[in-house]
Amino acid sequence: MNAITIDNLNYGYQEGEPLFQDFQLTVPEGQWLSIVGHNGSGKSTLAKLVLGLLEAQSGDITVFGQELTPASLAAVRAQVGMVFQNPDNQFVGATVADDVAFGLENRQVPSAEMPALIEAALQQVGMADFADREPHTLSGGQKQRVALASVLALKPKVIILDEATAMLDPAGKSAVLATLQELKAKYQDQLTLIMITHDMDEAALADRIVVINDGELALDEKPAALFVQGAALKQLGLDQPFETQLQEALPKAPQQYLSKQELAAWLSTLKA
Amino acid sequence: MNNLVIGQFIPGKAWLYKLDPRTKILVTVAYVFLLVFANQWPAYLLAAAFLGLTLVLTGQSLALYWRGIKPILWLILFTVCLQLLFTGGTPVLWHWSFITITVPGVVNAFYVIVRFVLIVLMSTALTLTTPPTSIASALESLLAPLKAIKVPVAELALMLSIALRFVPLLMGETDKVMKAQKSRGMSLSTGSLWQRSKAVLPLLIPLFIGALQRALDLANAMEVRGFESADNRTRYRVLSFTQADVLATIATIAFTVLFIGTLLIHF
Repeated sequence: MNAITIDNLNYGYQEGEPLFQDFQLTVPEGQWLSIVGHNGSGKSTLAKLVLGLLEAQSGDITVFGQELTPASLAAVRAQVGMVFQNPDNQFVGATVADDVAFGLENRQVPSAEMPALIEAALQQVGMADFADREPHTLSGGQKQRVALASVLALKPKVIILDEATAMLDPAGKSAVLATLQELKAKYQDQLTLIMITHDMDEAALADRIVVINDGELALDEKPAALFVQGAALKQLGLDQPFETQLQEALPKAPQQYLSKQELAAWLSTLKA
Repeated sequence: MNNLVIGQFIPGKAWLYKLDPRTKILVTVAYVFLLVFANQWPAYLLAAAFLGLTLVLTGQSLALYWRGIKPILWLILFTVCLQLLFTGGTPVLWHWSFITITVPGVVNAFYVIVRFVLIVLMSTALTLTTPPTSIASALESLLAPLKAIKVPVAELALMLSIALRFVPLLMGETDKVMKAQKSRGMSLSTGSLWQRSKAVLPLLIPLFIGALQRALDLANAMEVRGFESADNRTRYRVLSFTQADVLATIATIAFTVLFIGTLLIHF
């Protein structure tokens, strides 16, 4: 089954300046998809359209077989969670626990059931010890993990991360990415991850990468097949991941794509 | 801003922290209301005793309360001057040109000081021991009857708690913008009054734009997490009265009866 199907989507912020024209994209259930593109390419707009925060001029968006309409908005949002870019601007509660509770309160989960659900959600992102902390005492990475817990508490089938690590320091970023990998390993095909980013190292974690350029689907490849196309990426205003750049700079390196671990393994054989 | 004691919450474990926030708000309101009627020293003495008990039960040091009073000393002094100057009656203590100070004036001024201090300290005891969000949810619960006349109580309480949540954030942002402007040569502490007020403008504009952006982002985040209206929600933090609240209520009723008693005796 497809988690999200976007069919003939047309959207523009201003009339006469269309961003998406007859845009098509299908995301199968359980896939880890990265959507990359330079600033202003329309990748965040796409996420907002899927969640009904923006309304398309025409076209169909279908989530698990259910078409997105004003009437189905709540049902669609119950299946799709989203983590935004700015850690501060999505923290609704006064404390970590209150913030995770916010979504549960909206879904009218009985008060007695909430503490266990909150505890479980915080445990999954490694923030259970911070339940009573106020947001301004947390680091950016911790806040984003709380945002992830808030989404997880609602048990969504799809999580969209819109540049969720863009404002974090390297330590915060790797903590969030490690949490995502753990979640994906735990839920396998039950969880579809869509990661919007312009960081290619981050995008490399996905099963599939879609490059969007000015509202058009420019490339749609597996990471291995995408990263070897250095020239094409450069033209779209994107870089190859650091390890691919390194690999191509080494004349004796193998020609096929190597992941970070594979490249490290290959490098360590050189000395012997 | 951080040395302002009034309105600040300090985490603790003393008895007053265990009270339901609704009880604390109601007791504070009743106390302030009663004090308005106090006009003789026995009433003030009784009120001071009740306050003393309350302060002890907050488990905070008295020095903290002194710090709470300090910033409003000038306000108290000003009110005292008004009382001294504009209370008529006899006997006259001192007279010079248009200034006349009378005995009732001195007595009134003294009462004003006491009343002021009592009210401020009682409110401080409330906010010191109650997190702002608990105050917001207590107000929501207390004002619930107003829903009958279509007052959006739940929305207002949610707005209040979100506003409180953004206070430290906006204060941090103000600081950042101020430093950014200062590093470009702006000064808020030199120049004429006109120049200084003009310097505030480039401070306010980025702050407003930032706050609006935050509000838009927050609205999106709330909507995505299923927020539709403040009324159709369950609550994570459920307020419940305990034995402590019963005890506090009994104490307050006893105080009220005694207080009214002293007023009646002296009338």
